[in-house]
Amino acid sequence: MQEIRTTHDAVRPKNPLRAWFDVRKRNLGSWAFALNRLTGLALTVYLFLHLAILSKLLQGESGWNEFLALARSPLFLLLDIILIFGILFHGLNGIRVALVGMGVGARQHRRLFWVLMVIGTLLLLVSAWKVFTI
Amino acid sequence: MQAGLSKQGTKQKSVQVGRAGAFWLIQAVSGLLLVLLLLLHMVAHHFVVEGGLRDFAEVLAYVSNPAIFTIEVVFLIVVISHAMLGLRAVIFDLGLNKRHARVVNWVLGVIGIVTLVYGVWLAVAIQQL
Repeated sequence: MQEIRTTHDAVRPKNPLRAWFDVRKRNLGSWAFALNRLTGLALTVYLFLHLAILSKLLQGESGWNEFLALARSPLFLLLDIILIFGILFHGLNGIRVALVGMGVGARQHRRLFWVLMVIGTLLLLVSAWKVFTI
Repeated sequence: MQAGLSKQGTKQKSVQVGRAGAFWLIQAVSGLLLVLLLLLHMVAHHFVVEGGLRDFAEVLAYVSNPAIFTIEVVFLIVVISHAMLGLRAVIFDLGLNKRHARVVNWVLGVIGIVTLVYGVWLAVAIQQL
């Protein structure tokens, strides 16, 4: 039987924790991989916070109004921008990972990454403007 | 659970490769679905709403719409699956033995189901306020 040998892959390193925080000799793919993981973990924490905060509705109108006052504070709005950055990076980079993994645009994955990041930056600017003016 | 992308009866190694491939595909498809569902969620819940968030009465009216309720539950299922599979991938990359891997699978499965039940219960409870 032919032995299956693992290949060296900078994007999916053997020691992921060290690789996430080791900034030496990084290529674009490994930066994208690390940031995808970090934003994914942060979004998972946010998902639980979001669901927990919605339980404020069960306290009736006063409970919900307390949350609305907090959610409209400048600090909270700033956190919203960081959240939207996380969503946009994770979502747009995820589109690239899914498409390239399925064999779509594999040869042009770097260009695809930068096009998606430009779209993400524009969407982040529009969202930031929306968050502070809505 | 049988591996999704490999034939039954193949050797253990290829079963694991098949299962990893199936999970990758679920993650990719749920991720693409989430792009649409989250866009819908952000626009419908925040961007078209005066002040970015609905007041109490508006939330109750909104969630009581059966179509909205259904979309929210679908969104919840997809986002929890994606989050749990993502966490699983991160934890598995640390290199686990078989026993620990099984424990992680169970714990994440239970967290996912409890979160889903809580979310659906909350959506139903809000409608009955």
